[in-house]
Amino acid sequence: MTEPGHLPRLLLTLAGITVLLFLCLPIVIVVPMSFSSASSLEFPPPGFSLRWYQAFFGDGRWLVAAGYSIVVALIASTLALLIGSIAAYGLVRGSFRGRALVESNVMAPLIVPQIVTAVGLYIYFAKLGLLGTLFGLIVGHTVLAIPYVVLVMTVAIRSFDLRIEQVALTLGASWPTMFRRVLLPNLAPSAGAAWIFAFVISFDEVVVTIFLAGGIETIPKRMFNELVLQVNPTITAIATLLIGFSIITVGALALLMRSTGTVRKALG
Amino acid sequence: MTQSPTASIRPGRSARAGRLGATGLGFALPVSLFLLVAFDVPVLMMFGWALTSAKGMFAPFIEFFTRPVYLKVILNTLRIAAIATVACAVLGYVLAYWLRSLSGTARLVALTLVVLPFWVSILVRSYAWIVVLGNNGVVNRGLMDLGLASEPVAFLYNDLGVVIGTTNLLLPFLVLPLYAAMIRIDGRILQAAETLGASRWTIFRRVFFPLTVPALAAGMVLVFILTLGFYVTPAILGGGRVPMVANMLDMLINRLPRWELASAISIILLILTVLLHLLYVRLSRQAGN
Repeated sequence: MTEPGHLPRLLLTLAGITVLLFLCLPIVIVVPMSFSSASSLEFPPPGFSLRWYQAFFGDGRWLVAAGYSIVVALIASTLALLIGSIAAYGLVRGSFRGRALVESNVMAPLIVPQIVTAVGLYIYFAKLGLLGTLFGLIVGHTVLAIPYVVLVMTVAIRSFDLRIEQVALTLGASWPTMFRRVLLPNLAPSAGAAWIFAFVISFDEVVVTIFLAGGIETIPKRMFNELVLQVNPTITAIATLLIGFSIITVGALALLMRSTGTVRKALG
Repeated sequence: MTQSPTASIRPGRSARAGRLGATGLGFALPVSLFLLVAFDVPVLMMFGWALTSAKGMFAPFIEFFTRPVYLKVILNTLRIAAIATVACAVLGYVLAYWLRSLSGTARLVALTLVVLPFWVSILVRSYAWIVVLGNNGVVNRGLMDLGLASEPVAFLYNDLGVVIGTTNLLLPFLVLPLYAAMIRIDGRILQAAETLGASRWTIFRRVFFPLTVPALAAGMVLVFILTLGFYVTPAILGGGRVPMVANMLDMLINRLPRWELASAISIILLILTVLLHLLYVRLSRQAGN
């Protein structure tokens, strides 16, 4: 379009920055609050202190929750990566009856509202006696992580030239050799990205966890319970740690994605 | 989505190696079995619970539609979702339009800031609004220091708080596809309109805006769907005073327990979501062309 005049241009910039500020405000606010010396939620903080980080690291219950979060996220994301990647390969390279059905089934946990998944799994696990077990929680998280793995891996496999695989096979490589020497090294960055995705999905998960976890506390579940009851500034410290964790993750992801070009392809 | 160049080159009959054909199903089997046992059966079992309750075939559904308590919550959810959707549309359109006018580093930085919140836990982002909007929060203190309010404005624990939190959380879902659609618009079309003597406002109204409508509509449907099932934000920023469907389900499962009723409501929510999702797929396909 034609370049807008000075005044409209200025107004647009102002409006754009305002909306962007609104979008990022929660992140911008929480980080300085976590270093506050006040025990109420004052902004700007009256002074600098690390007391809320001490409160977090000094509280055994938070550390146990962190442990559960990490264990569940590690197992669920790895399981989702394994079966999800294999499925993505079959969906991209294969042609079989019912492919569309398999594809929509794999994507379904992303479309079905999490609260519905949570209710369904709750009743099911109650019948099976799996409520409040680590096993049940891991199964629930794996279900939610699978669509993300399949999405990322499908894009990666589709953009990997089939003819490269064919050349390896034609030159006499067995399928396992081709997999190990050709597919794996080429898809590893995308698999890493998919794994991080799945890990974060599980690590941040609240709704299904609240329904299934019973007495097990993960970080988000404990945070949620604390938030509903009272305003506790320790949460700002955890929030900042989580934001730091997210930024590191996004950075790692950006590096991985750049090496494969998956982002550009995914965005079309 | 553009096809990768290799996708259009079909290997000949001699180059069948590497294609899986029907073996592909075998690769998809582990995940399918897993989801069958851990997702499909649980969802189907809800249908069983709702349809075979002791009080008769459709009893939970009849109870749901005849008891004003439940209908009120559903209507409240739809209302909040509609308001949040419109708010996202207005703010999102401005933001996407501004992003489009940026170039180089500025655009990259702004896009990164749009994507970044995606990666921060919903819990953290909802919580931050307590700090911002609380009685002692930044906004209220600012308003009172400026003399615009004599006592704290109640932003939290009401509809307003939930709408603000929801809009903030879901904005990127609308902005990113909308921005992508704006970028795809061929600049020559706009130049042609200008050459033909259209004013800037006319070009926007008659040419630019209509071209972005499918992406805008798709984004709005997506935001609406996501708000329908929201649990965390209404619980934190609504403080239990803004009942939405998800929180009602929590009550029916964890407090009362009324599994058959929770199943029936879940099914209604599920069907509504699937229908809206079909609409979303159609709209985003339109937006992609």
